Amino acid sequence: MMILKMKKEDLPAFLESAKEWGELWGPTTKDGKTSYAKVDSLSQMDLKATRTVIPPKKFLYPPRFTMFDFDEEGFVERTGDVPKRILFGLHPCDVHGILIMDKLFLETYKDPYYAERREKTLLLGHSCIPDDKCMCFATNTDFVAEGFDLFFTDLKMFYLVWVGSSKGHDLVRMRADLFSRNLDKNDILNYTEYRKWKTAQFKAKIDLTGMPDIFELGYNSPIWDELGEKCLSCGQCSMVCPTCNCYNVVDEVDLGTAEGTRDRFWDSCMFREYSVVAGGHNFRDKRADRLRLWYTHKLQAFIGEFGKPACVGCGRCVATCPVDINVATVSTALKEQEVGK
Amino acid sequence: MTRPSPKIGVYGFTGCAGDQLMILNCEDQLVDLFGATEIRSFVMAKSDNHEAELDVALVEGSISTEAQLKHLKDIRERSKVLIAIGTCACWGGPQAMKLGDGKFEERYKKVYGNAKITVSKAIEGQPLDAFVKVDMKIPGCPIDKQEFLKSVSKLVAGKHPYLLKSPVCLECKWKENKCLLLDGKFCAGPLTKGGCGAVCPSHNLPCVGCWGPTDDLNVSAEYDLLKEKGFVPEEIITKIRKFGGSGVMELVKNLEKKEAKK
Ligand code: SF4
Ligand code: SF4
Ligand code: SF4
Ligand code: SF4
Repeated sequence: MMILKMKKEDLPAFLESAKEWGELWGPTTKDGKTSYAKVDSLSQMDLKATRTVIPPKKFLYPPRFTMFDFDEEGFVERTGDVPKRILFGLHPCDVHGILIMDKLFLETYKDPYYAERREKTLLLGHSCIPDDKCMCFATNTDFVAEGFDLFFTDLKMFYLVWVGSSKGHDLVRMRADLFSRNLDKNDILNYTEYRKWKTAQFKAKIDLTGMPDIFELGYNSPIWDELGEKCLSCGQCSMVCPTCNCYNVVDEVDLGTAEGTRDRFWDSCMFREYSVVAGGHNFRDKRADRLRLWYTHKLQAFIGEFGKPACVGCGRCVATCPVDINVATVSTALKEQEVGK
Repeated sequence: MTRPSPKIGVYGFTGCAGDQLMILNCEDQLVDLFGATEIRSFVMAKSDNHEAELDVALVEGSISTEAQLKHLKDIRERSKVLIAIGTCACWGGPQAMKLGDGKFEERYKKVYGNAKITVSKAIEGQPLDAFVKVDMKIPGCPIDKQEFLKSVSKLVAGKHPYLLKSPVCLECKWKENKCLLLDGKFCAGPLTKGGCGAVCPSHNLPCVGCWGPTDDLNVSAEYDLLKEKGFVPEEIITKIRKFGGSGVMELVKNLEKKEAKK
């Protein structure tokens, strides 16, 4: 890890040179919604937006993609046709989300499709402006020390730039003239000030301490039934959550042949069909059971296995669920044994 | 290995013929479709039709006369697989929006009075599975070309077709749309089977539910939410029933009972 300094006005020039490595993508806002889009330059990006509708997981693990083509002889992987991309503007929660995806897709069983995209995608983080839905302070994901290639912290006149990988370092070297290693006392003071400022911005009411115990105690709580009655089973929460990773796999064949493709697409444990097993039996036929699974996975089971929650506090469930079911309302309801209005 | 081409029949009952039209509209793949199968009967597309044994019958529309019912039973008897295509065939369509209210006779009188009907006696419009076994439902208003072709391709290859069971919201979120329910709009996405590509919400138009009910819909949660957003109960129920037909009949009845108790 290395921290450099860059003048703010030099960012466009740096990104211009970085484009030599691959396509430049960043957050853009159109008709009131923010999403990652391919851009030509910094001027098209919206760095003030707090969150995109869908997190950057969509680049590493697209909503729907073809894994391989098959015929009666065998199959040919569709790897190799992924473009090299630079994602600019990821917030600390986004990077933490990807670190969780890495655990799931790269550790015990390496997923070749994820691995290829991860390899060909550079992650350039950027500090953020928290809003009333941000909860990263409660999940210890408000700052990030790994997982990115570069991370830019905006200190008004300057950027402090964390170099997190050798690929990130290669980008820096393309325009070494724009970066300085001379950090002084003022930089430390400014950075300390920045951390204080960020920490003071949070307004969300959420406290996740003791969650594994609360979930254990509340396993049979009627709260789950109450929440289940409210839930629309729309699955939006799973689509927008940076750590939701479940998928379905389906074969498609070309008409009149035995040739076809094997496709993979995002699924959600909030759907009834997701837990149907052979013979039509369903272990989670009740909506309440599915909700309990979703939240137990995020705030209890994952902590047991990996020592941290599978929630990075991004606030997307808060911004998305039409009936206000989200990590804040669910954890509070379970603690207080009452579903809030 | 070559399989014998499956013998197919395409039929239409009470509906707009949009699903049959959609099959004919598969321009690029139509030749392949006719090549990979033996289309024995498709009155809308050709004149030389044979009413005989079929591997697959594709049936559009709901059943609303006794003559149609007789014809449907005949098709069922000579088909190995019967597939309902389009929301009318699957759930009854708009003509079944009042299904089960017990007022069919009354409505019939109001429209036809004592007029002498010489064609065939009308019955309350209902989906195919109210009368015969339906092996698969491909809903849509009209059906989606891709979903239809994918299903037929798999059938021709001797495999089980897969249709999305999840609601419209799945693809709506893939397209990164902001949820219209959050803006207080009446969106039936969570109640409606997906596969249409969330075309309406992607154009900022609320889903009206034209693909019929999804696998697991929470009618009462949607009702409560819409009421909270200021919609009146009659409007909510009418809109839910518009394309829901037999798929929402019981759910709406339960909801009405629950509301009456309040
Ligand atoms: S549970 Fe909610 S806040 Fe936590 S990571 Fe998922 S979407 Fe973000
Ligand atoms: S959740 Fe935290 S890291 Fe993410 S955008 Fe909000 S303040 Fe930034
Ligand atoms: S919790 Fe909310 S977003 Fe998730 S499925 Fe239920 S209603 Fe949809
Ligand atoms: S806009 Fe409609 S279809 Fe889209 S997510 Fe919201 S409720 Fe579902």
